[in-house]
Amino acid sequence: MSDAAATLTQDRQKLEMSALSAPAVIFTVAMIAFPVVYTIWLGFQTFSSTGKQSFAGLANYSKLISDYEFWHGLWVTVALFVLSLVLQLVFGVWLALVLFHAKRLPGIVRSLFISPFMMPPVVAGMMWLVILDPSLGAANYILQSFGLPPSDWLASPTWVIPTVALIDSWQWTPYVALIVLGGLQSLPPSVYEAAQIDGASPFKTFQRITLPLLLPTIVTAAILRSVDLLRFFDIIYITTQGGPGNASNTLNIYGFRVGFEFFNIGYASALMLTLTAIVFGAVLAFNRLRGAVAWS
Amino acid sequence: MKARMLATHVALPVLAIAAVSAQAHAADFDWMKFKGKTVTFLANNNPVSQALLTFKADFEKLTGMTLKVDGYQEQQMRQRLVTVMNANSDEVDVFMTLPSREGEQFAAAGWYADLTAMAKSEVAKDYEPAGLSQALLKAATFGGKLTSMPMNLEGPIFYYRTDIFKKCGLEAPKTIKDVEAAAEKIKACDSAVTPFVSRGLKPAVAYTFSNMLHNIGGSYIANGKSNLCSAKAKEALDTYSRLLRDFGPPGVVNYSFQQISALYRSGRAAMAFESSNELRTVTEGGARLKDTGLLPFPAGEAGQVPTTIGWGMAVSSHSKQPDAAWYFVQWATSPEVQKKMALQGIAPPRPSVAKDPEYRKWIDEEPVRKEWQAALDVLATKGSSEVGYPIVANPESREFIGQAVQDLILKQKPIDQACADADKALDALIAQK
Repeated sequence: MSDAAATLTQDRQKLEMSALSAPAVIFTVAMIAFPVVYTIWLGFQTFSSTGKQSFAGLANYSKLISDYEFWHGLWVTVALFVLSLVLQLVFGVWLALVLFHAKRLPGIVRSLFISPFMMPPVVAGMMWLVILDPSLGAANYILQSFGLPPSDWLASPTWVIPTVALIDSWQWTPYVALIVLGGLQSLPPSVYEAAQIDGASPFKTFQRITLPLLLPTIVTAAILRSVDLLRFFDIIYITTQGGPGNASNTLNIYGFRVGFEFFNIGYASALMLTLTAIVFGAVLAFNRLRGAVAWS
Repeated sequence: MKARMLATHVALPVLAIAAVSAQAHAADFDWMKFKGKTVTFLANNNPVSQALLTFKADFEKLTGMTLKVDGYQEQQMRQRLVTVMNANSDEVDVFMTLPSREGEQFAAAGWYADLTAMAKSEVAKDYEPAGLSQALLKAATFGGKLTSMPMNLEGPIFYYRTDIFKKCGLEAPKTIKDVEAAAEKIKACDSAVTPFVSRGLKPAVAYTFSNMLHNIGGSYIANGKSNLCSAKAKEALDTYSRLLRDFGPPGVVNYSFQQISALYRSGRAAMAFESSNELRTVTEGGARLKDTGLLPFPAGEAGQVPTTIGWGMAVSSHSKQPDAAWYFVQWATSPEVQKKMALQGIAPPRPSVAKDPEYRKWIDEEPVRKEWQAALDVLATKGSSEVGYPIVANPESREFIGQAVQDLILKQKPIDQACADADKALDALIAQK
């Protein structure tokens, strides 16, 4: 076969392969693109309380600027994000180290520790709602049995954000730990052997070797959790519905209520697209950070 | 508000006409007319639909139709409905609706099929449309169009522990002031129980607060403006929030019916102001069956104006088979089915069912059930369906009522600021077209 004929055959094969995979590619792209494009279009519409629709231009976005609930929701979202992420990263690394060094029944210990994140968030929310009930819950019973004052937990405007952050951290810290554990297991043993020969203490070893080498893994875990934390919804919806007052009204909860309870789908779409932009921004920032801390 | 006041003794021409016309068509009526068709029912998975769907097979046997049930919790059901209706989809034929909450809104959006004509032209002999609560039918009529048929009758009622009242030397309260005095006395007499509990969760507050507001003589709107800063409304806000703050359980701002029922049933509350639907949950199979007394909420300066609402069954305006859908609505709201539901503790929206011997026997078995029925009779005759603002944006208005109450419970604002902030937001809602 001549070179020209062989090239022609190769081109034809490529064309056939493209044609065969095209339906799947088109379907996948359409499934991703359609909801996004539709939401962008909805963001330029206004819906009256009776569902009547009309073109609004940028009115929904300009309304965001003067909407107190939007800025409050953004503050609540960021506060929950920062508090939960810090808790989950700190305790996730600690838990990973515990699991890494667990010598007895490591399989059982790991299964036990990672079980919370296998629980559906709705179930976790219901469980904690019962435990933290100020009148009937076990949490106050335990506090009082140690002579401590009871707390209103989820019913306190002051404590609701830390309490929700604790619930989410209870559930998702094991997930961070699992990612970090994978990073720990891939670290080169030769570095530790060298540190041991140099007489480095366990703390110095952790501070100077383990933590720097783990940073790219920790940042990866932070990216994965950030996406979820900025879209915080299920646990709040189950436990407080944004209350008391609007103390735990995240952007996601606010957008949901505007769309599905007050039927203003246009403004809800603008809210959700703004939240999506914030999530993208956070992911991009963490990606840059990951590049900066990657091993050379 | 008076325009929305319900009174069963006020005869409505709508169903009277329907009753006369129905007799003319009853002879031709054939339950098997739509045999082979499938009707899709979007249901709120609550005790009312659960009781109804126990008899699903009976409907399918009677009509030869298939009933496809699409059931969700209340909020999720509304989300599904909004999506379906905004898409002009015919996926749903019949859906459950609360006229007091979303009636104005859905009617203005054109989501309800007009049942007036169907109630006249396609009615079985034993349906007795005139036997349905005229008050609830009126509450479901918007712009002269009948939009849904009542499934049940409900409203908040006053549950109290007769044993605790006896121990503390108290009589059953007759007025709101008596409730406050009783709460004060119970607090001193039995520190182990919560003296009073009602709804504190923001979107849920309007259901119980409206009864307090109307009993005191307040109104939501006056001269086209929000009226929460009027003297009567401020008194209602102050009294409701004070009762919950000073005598309610810790964390009451997150309390809706589930938490209230759990607290009362467990014996840790002396008085509860909660839905009549909770009777079974609160009393059946437990100690509260024998030590609970029931009343309509005690009177204020304007007497007793209880809140009375009911779930309704509506036919979607996008349904391609509204006639077949109407057959399902008619069967579900028929005297026979409503009697069966009543025996499961669903308060019937038909006075005739309430007088049925079999139902009376169930009622007479326990004193608490007799008091429950007596309270429901008051709700049926004196009730107001006004829960939140009687405007298209009713669901949103409930948020601001709840916010004002929570601001006071949590002492986050003085009453003048709480009501003024709420009025400002509510005036904007009232102004919305």
